[in-house]
Amino acid sequence: MRFLTLALKNLLRRKVRSALTVLGVALAVAVAVSLMGFRTGYKQALSESIDRLGFQVMVMAKGCPYEAATMMLKGGTGLLYVPDSIYAQVGKDKDIDSITPIFIGLAMKETSGLREDAGSSFTIMAGIEQESFATMKPWLKFKTGQGFYGGHWFAPESEDEVVMGYEAATYEQRKVGDKIFLPITPNGAKEAVPHTFKIVGILDRAGSQDDGTVFLPFKTAQKIFNRPNQLTIVGVKLKTFNRDNLREFTNRWISLPEVQVVDMGQVKDTITGLLDSAQTMIAAVAVIAVLVALIGVVNTILMSVYERTGEIGIMKAIGAYRGDIFTLIWFETLFVCALGGALGCGFALVGTKLVEAGIKSLINLGVSGSVVRITPDILACSFGGAILVGFFAGLYPAWRAASMRPVEAIREGIG
Amino acid sequence: MEKIKLIEARGLKRHFKRGSEVVKALDGVDLDIFQGEMVSLLGPSGSGKTTLINLLSCLDAPTEGSLSISGQPVAGLSEDRLAEVRRGNLGFVFQKFYLLPTLNVAENVALPLLFTRQASSHERTLAALKQVGLEDRAGHLPSELSGGQMQRVAIARALIVKPKILIADEPTGNLDKANGEAIFELFTRLVNESGLTVVVTTHNLSLGYRANRVITLSDGKIEKEERPTVASAAAMAAANSH
Repeated sequence: MRFLTLALKNLLRRKVRSALTVLGVALAVAVAVSLMGFRTGYKQALSESIDRLGFQVMVMAKGCPYEAATMMLKGGTGLLYVPDSIYAQVGKDKDIDSITPIFIGLAMKETSGLREDAGSSFTIMAGIEQESFATMKPWLKFKTGQGFYGGHWFAPESEDEVVMGYEAATYEQRKVGDKIFLPITPNGAKEAVPHTFKIVGILDRAGSQDDGTVFLPFKTAQKIFNRPNQLTIVGVKLKTFNRDNLREFTNRWISLPEVQVVDMGQVKDTITGLLDSAQTMIAAVAVIAVLVALIGVVNTILMSVYERTGEIGIMKAIGAYRGDIFTLIWFETLFVCALGGALGCGFALVGTKLVEAGIKSLINLGVSGSVVRITPDILACSFGGAILVGFFAGLYPAWRAASMRPVEAIREGIG
Repeated sequence: MEKIKLIEARGLKRHFKRGSEVVKALDGVDLDIFQGEMVSLLGPSGSGKTTLINLLSCLDAPTEGSLSISGQPVAGLSEDRLAEVRRGNLGFVFQKFYLLPTLNVAENVALPLLFTRQASSHERTLAALKQVGLEDRAGHLPSELSGGQMQRVAIARALIVKPKILIADEPTGNLDKANGEAIFELFTRLVNESGLTVVVTTHNLSLGYRANRVITLSDGKIEKEERPTVASAAAMAAANSH
């Protein structure tokens, strides 16, 4: 028999108590893993979502650039418009690789009858120039399969054809060839005007805000929203994207009235920076969970030491050194924490989807795709953290046990 | 043949402070114990027999006086050095058996080998169990044994490291008469067959008088020392049975 075996068998003596302590550690580790996974996943998803916008620079109406970026990522009602002449002006820039105009408007979401919440939200409608838009986002593909065959872009002049993003179509339970009814309030009007569109294509999942958007021809969007000669955003991709080029490009166009140039890279850095600050609070929650688990472990092992006072006395009597008793109790603590750590990692892996669904049901994170990514590094770090907790949690109980004088321990055990 | 002295105590005192009062639990004991002896320590509660056996076991340190185990002075040694002295010389049996409930009989018996860094072998464990007549119970858990059997497992646990002296503090305190007698018969056999030295405390006079030597303590001092004969032991047993 070895110390490890003896420690494990000691823990099995009070199975329920040991199991509850292990569970406490496991939950703390699961919380820590999930939060770290969320931190990593959300940053990555945000970064990917911004990259999936397709353009590196947005030329748009003056205002908060981060609000503008957020609006592009998750939609919003604070839309501002600029004259569409800037599209032609900016399009002449020598450093531009590709450029596309985007008109964004909001339609009342059609109440499907199956979704009670549908009437309370909006559908984002994007007026686009199909050719330049598709050039900017070459990954956009039409969904195929039953109900989706024959998907294609609308004709540029069409007034009643739309293409739906994957999630928008799924939400509204629409297939290619179906009609969709969307009430739209034109600029200056008080009442919404009903519009019925034919769905000519449904896009495959893109992993960006495009999934929740209904696309229609640029000119048609201007017309039905009663904003002729206006647009929301000009998306730009530069031939060479670096800090110097971007600065020169910005300086050239910042002088246009009512226009700002937004660098998506900077937006990404700023949002992730803000996210880091917010996640300090989240980390505090994880630390508290770990501290509670640590106190639970100390309490359990200490109780176990006190209950076994007589046994510890007899172990010393039959030749155990102080170090032997210390090692034994310490191993017990490490066992509890190692098992809790492993279980916690398992819980987190299994529960990732649930956690993600929970988070997404509570708040619109503005990103598509998975926001919780549990990497091997996170698992290793969390498991190591649990072992570290065991390392420290075991010190005091082990010291108490090792410091017992055998004669007193045996006497107390008899009492 | 010259007798080997295993324990030598001179002027052994153990005083405790209880508030402002000093309790003289042991107050100057001189004692020699030799190899192959079975020595009973008798006396009423508070006479000092447990205090004396704790000192002889190196589990406690004397306030005054000298003590040698196998010729090695133990006064002033650190706790770990005392543990070494115990490892090499002493085996222990207590009133409470202190068997670990999650270990089976064989694992309980082999436990001292873990602490003394000795190789554990099934043969060695079985040999120790055979000495106490429980070799067929090696795989059982303590909860499956009677009180007498558990005490015999505790004795096997003490014997596995081949101690020179077996210290038994009230070993029959939790046992019925028949089991108590069986334990003392076992001690007698071990002394006679293996040359083991046994120092035992007991409240039971008839059992105590089965030893080679009986030391009666009173108020922390040795009151008398006797070498019982077969007749005196039988008389004590008869007196005790009434």
